[in-house]
Amino acid sequence: MLSAYKRLFPALVFAALVFAPVAVFSSRIVSREISFFYALAWAVFAGGVAFASFYTGRVSFFRRIFFSVSALAFLVHFKFNLFSKVFDSSCFKDTPYCHIAIAPSFLNYLYLQYLALMSGGWAVWGPLSLVFVWLFATLIIGRAWCSWACFYGGIDDGLSALPKKALLKTEKWGFKLRDFPAALLIFLLLVSFANMLPVYCLWLCPFKMTGSFLDTDYALIRNIQYGLMVLALAVLFLGPLLTKKRTFCSFLCPFGAWQAFWGKLNPFRISVNALKCTGCQACVEACPMYAIESEPGSKAEISSYCNLCGECLKACAAGGINYSVLGFRMPYITEGFGKLLNPESFLVFSALTLGATFASLWAPAAMGDIVKLIR
Amino acid sequence: MAALFSEGFLLGLSTGAYCLASCLPVLAPYLLAGGGLSWKINFLIFIEFLAGRFIAYTLFALVAVSLGKASGPYLPQRALAAGMVVTALFMFYFLFSGRLKKHAPCLASLPAAWAEKRIPFLLGFLTGINICPPFAAGLLRLMGLADALKGLAYFGGFFTSTSLFLLPALTPTPFLGSRLKRIGRMTLFLAALWYLFLGLKGLISLP
Ligand code: SF4
Ligand code: SF4
Repeated sequence: MLSAYKRLFPALVFAALVFAPVAVFSSRIVSREISFFYALAWAVFAGGVAFASFYTGRVSFFRRIFFSVSALAFLVHFKFNLFSKVFDSSCFKDTPYCHIAIAPSFLNYLYLQYLALMSGGWAVWGPLSLVFVWLFATLIIGRAWCSWACFYGGIDDGLSALPKKALLKTEKWGFKLRDFPAALLIFLLLVSFANMLPVYCLWLCPFKMTGSFLDTDYALIRNIQYGLMVLALAVLFLGPLLTKKRTFCSFLCPFGAWQAFWGKLNPFRISVNALKCTGCQACVEACPMYAIESEPGSKAEISSYCNLCGECLKACAAGGINYSVLGFRMPYITEGFGKLLNPESFLVFSALTLGATFASLWAPAAMGDIVKLIR
Repeated sequence: MAALFSEGFLLGLSTGAYCLASCLPVLAPYLLAGGGLSWKINFLIFIEFLAGRFIAYTLFALVAVSLGKASGPYLPQRALAAGMVVTALFMFYFLFSGRLKKHAPCLASLPAAWAEKRIPFLLGFLTGINICPPFAAGLLRLMGLADALKGLAYFGGFFTSTSLFLLPALTPTPFLGSRLKRIGRMTLFLAALWYLFLGLKGLISLP
């Protein structure tokens, strides 16, 4: 009975805390298109993940399951119809606004807002819409967006977990190229603004496989765009399988660089306890984001590219890595309801609730698609 | 004169976003990659870039005034496309000249060595010859003035206010550490590829 009180009940409370808001938001999102039960099923799944990660303490393991399932649902619902009409989505046919497009087209967005404001077009002037949503998500989970909510990240992350060992060792050049997304972001901000076009979506986004967005005037340009997309697809799907790293997120995503900068607004951090760190470098190898820099024998340092996935926590045999709030070390409560007060619990609650609510735009609908297909 | 200066200034203020769009993709990556920690150095680069742009504009204005028609000085499309290719080549040259010289020391004495020092000026000049809509509007007004001094006052106002729009490019430069410079070099590389592509596309697709 005592053990149930210490482990089971707090985990159940935690699961309920995640389940309730996801059920409410998810059912509101889907109810106009499909049965409420799909929303409920999705909320049960999110609650189940919350329970399992709290009960077992294996945050990253269950996070990865949730994250990959969410990304797979995105593929099932929005992209499988490219292969056959059988997979046509039954509802929510348009992809939701892509968060990745926010970053490289931000100047365009600001300029359009400015024009709307100047012309008195108050109705079009909406800094409190899209930017507000992004700012809200950033304040709540910051960089953790990239390990709990993004549909590209879920694919990259899930695939990077599949191989037992990396076939390609990438540390040598990986760290050198790690700042490339920041350069890509600056470049895209400037050229998107100069051309008033979403240049990233046109040229690099791996999911833009429909052709409708492509420049149809010149065959050469279309072919280059296809070529770049195939390259990006390879980095998204093959890269993680060969390297055991999240190659797309680490080298090609401008939003990742954007969140690395703005993510500092969010208080959650991964912190290394200098007293416990032995410099063994196990975490450097385990981090799929090239976000830990350390020379052999010296203390590990977490860079702003960390997206709080938690992989390094389980890799550190000395237990020297923790979730923290603004880097402050607090005693870690291992049992009872006090465990709900650990920074880790706050992060998992915020990230899972937000990630599951965002995924309500496609995950319940994907379940609907699968049920329809089976029938 | 003051009235003409402020007229040009106001035209620049209302259309400066265009300047931002056409010059920033060249200036900002260069400042990141080639700037220094001292604000003075970066400001000098900035001024040199503006000087290149100013000279290109003045040349156009002069030709326009002497021809007496605003449509006269436009460069043929092919020359503009070639200008983009040259812009890209200068960017590449800036990025790789160090390595080139290591392998072929004789390169250091070529005229290219002069070009390397004056890259901000050349980039400013090359973006200046790519006439943007606000400048074309300014040229039309210039035609009506038919007086060099008045034209200069008007044009000076226009140039000053449009240059203000480019000032944000200086913002990140006080933080230029080796990491930001590395990011700047990669950005410049991407910008060079982009201009090379646009230029070649222009050259190939033109009849
Ligand atoms: S880095 Fe980009 S692709 Fe990866 S998870 Fe973040 S937003 Fe998604
Ligand atoms: S440092 Fe740790 S938590 Fe951050 S991305 Fe790397 S493995 Fe994940």
